[in-house]
Amino acid sequence: MDLLAWNTLLFALKWVLIGLIYFVLLLLLLALRREVSLQMGASRISVPVVPGRLKIINPGSDLNSRAGDILNLQPDTSFGTEVNNDIILKDKYISRYHARLQWDGANWWVEDLGSRNGTFINQIRCTPKTRQLLPIGSHLQAGDMIFELLD
Amino acid sequence: MYRASQRPSRQSEALLLVFTSLIAILGYLMVAAAAQLRQGFDPLPALPAALLPPLLLSAGAFGLHIAMRTRRVEVEQIVLPVVSLLLAFGLVTIFRLRGAEGAWQQITRGLLPGLILASAFILRPQLVEFVRRWTLPISAIGLMLPIATAIFGVVDETGARLALKLGPLPAIQTSEMIKLSLVIFLAWFIDREGEQVEGRARIVLGRLRLPAVRYFIPGILFVSMATLALVQMSDFGAVLILGFLFAAMLYAGFETRLFTTIAGIGLILALLVALVLAFSWDIPTVIQHRFAAFLDPWSIAEIQVNGRPTGITIAEGPGYQIQQSIYAIVAGGLAGAGLGFGSPDYIPLAASDFIFAAILEELGAAVGIVILVLFIILLMRILRVALLLPRGQVFERLLLIGIGMHLFTQVFVMVGGTLNIMPLTGVTVPFLSQGGAALMINLLEIGIVLAVAQRLETRPI
Repeated sequence: MDLLAWNTLLFALKWVLIGLIYFVLLLLLLALRREVSLQMGASRISVPVVPGRLKIINPGSDLNSRAGDILNLQPDTSFGTEVNNDIILKDKYISRYHARLQWDGANWWVEDLGSRNGTFINQIRCTPKTRQLLPIGSHLQAGDMIFELLD
Repeated sequence: MYRASQRPSRQSEALLLVFTSLIAILGYLMVAAAAQLRQGFDPLPALPAALLPPLLLSAGAFGLHIAMRTRRVEVEQIVLPVVSLLLAFGLVTIFRLRGAEGAWQQITRGLLPGLILASAFILRPQLVEFVRRWTLPISAIGLMLPIATAIFGVVDETGARLALKLGPLPAIQTSEMIKLSLVIFLAWFIDREGEQVEGRARIVLGRLRLPAVRYFIPGILFVSMATLALVQMSDFGAVLILGFLFAAMLYAGFETRLFTTIAGIGLILALLVALVLAFSWDIPTVIQHRFAAFLDPWSIAEIQVNGRPTGITIAEGPGYQIQQSIYAIVAGGLAGAGLGFGSPDYIPLAASDFIFAAILEELGAAVGIVILVLFIILLMRILRVALLLPRGQVFERLLLIGIGMHLFTQVFVMVGGTLNIMPLTGVTVPFLSQGGAALMINLLEIGIVLAVAQRLETRPI
């Protein structure tokens, strides 16, 4: 092969290289998309231990939560900002021991533990230190965070 | 239970690595052929010798892939291909500019040690815990480095004192190590102090309530490091990156109110030091000239050193490298001149600081954009791992955020300087630039990311 032919070959290869680079970029983006959908699929498949999950509608100022996240509930679940709660929620307006959710075998009950800013069921404030019914599908609000109870 | 039913596979990573290896090999062969062609020789006999370095690079990337495989995790298959593609671009360009010898030096001093460190972290993720436990000694060594560099350092051709030379060993650039140890220290500090917001001791000065003395530590640390870097090493780039890292990590770690106070204290300290420096000490002429060159690289204003005219204009002096960088980028156009067919040798420091301009000249803006996209994907993936970590792993989360910001700000500062949209500062572009120690530290950081990412897999879904 003479040198001129080499020159032509290298200029052609330049376009091959650029094409290859863009092909890899495309593959990368596809892999990225697949990984994201896999992760979402995984969170949908997860099976709760008891028949109750809280879906986060509004994450408030809690940086660890995102809208659409699902929190699995245990039969007796407490939440607040303190670390020894079952669910730790770091919203600005949530108290250290805010409230607890209890399952009696048929229904979920909410008990406000004397929080400063209150707990709301469908925007009605709960009486502190009293168990109140939390129907499936209702909205629970604590601080700026809003949850929906799923069965 | 979703995961346990399937055997972990890393197919998309393996597939992507095959293609990045192809790119490395093709690029390397093209550069080798073009080099022979420029001298009028037949390229064919030179090609087999040019196969070894890209094959080594691919072997290294597949080594990390196999290391991840032995950990039986499926998580995070994007980071490795992105990094290996960036490494391929870097190695090919260094080979183009510095010849086989320069590329070989990059492999032996940066790539291989870096790959060994990264695979150590991937295979033994508990090393991250070790780093957490031994943060103080590690960051103490890291903070000694700028002092050692300031004393024993070698002054390079740009007038900055960045490299440490000990005995017969080759001189090593210490700036990346300093940045990583700052990240480790801040992650540890915030993990220790950040959560104890309520009921901590404060200094009360009349109506002004300040946090306890220990909250001043990061600020004092940063300011003293920055001052040292500025005064002793004339390294403005390091000051900029340290400032970015400092602000980003405090913002990520502390709640907003505390962040404002602590960052405010740091800012006030920095301003005080800046004022003292401004009155007692000439701003290094390097920095003044860089800024003037940023405003107008073609300016015919004469530059002055210590108030005396030197007879050199900005266009001939500090503006020259920016002009050459811009010329190179324009010459490259959209698709580039072709590997080996441009003339990036005109750019000063083309293989280290200005490697982005060299890539743009020979591979074109099309590939330049791909590189920027790759860096953005890398940052997003690192931050994603950081945000998905279980609650309570504050150290690891902040470590990852710091690492991501470190890599990204370096790219931001250097690409900005190359395109003359911000004043030029001498830092390296991660994974691309020539410089063994920097590459080693960058690969170590990727090792830490992949070690921490493995924790996402064991998390109950």
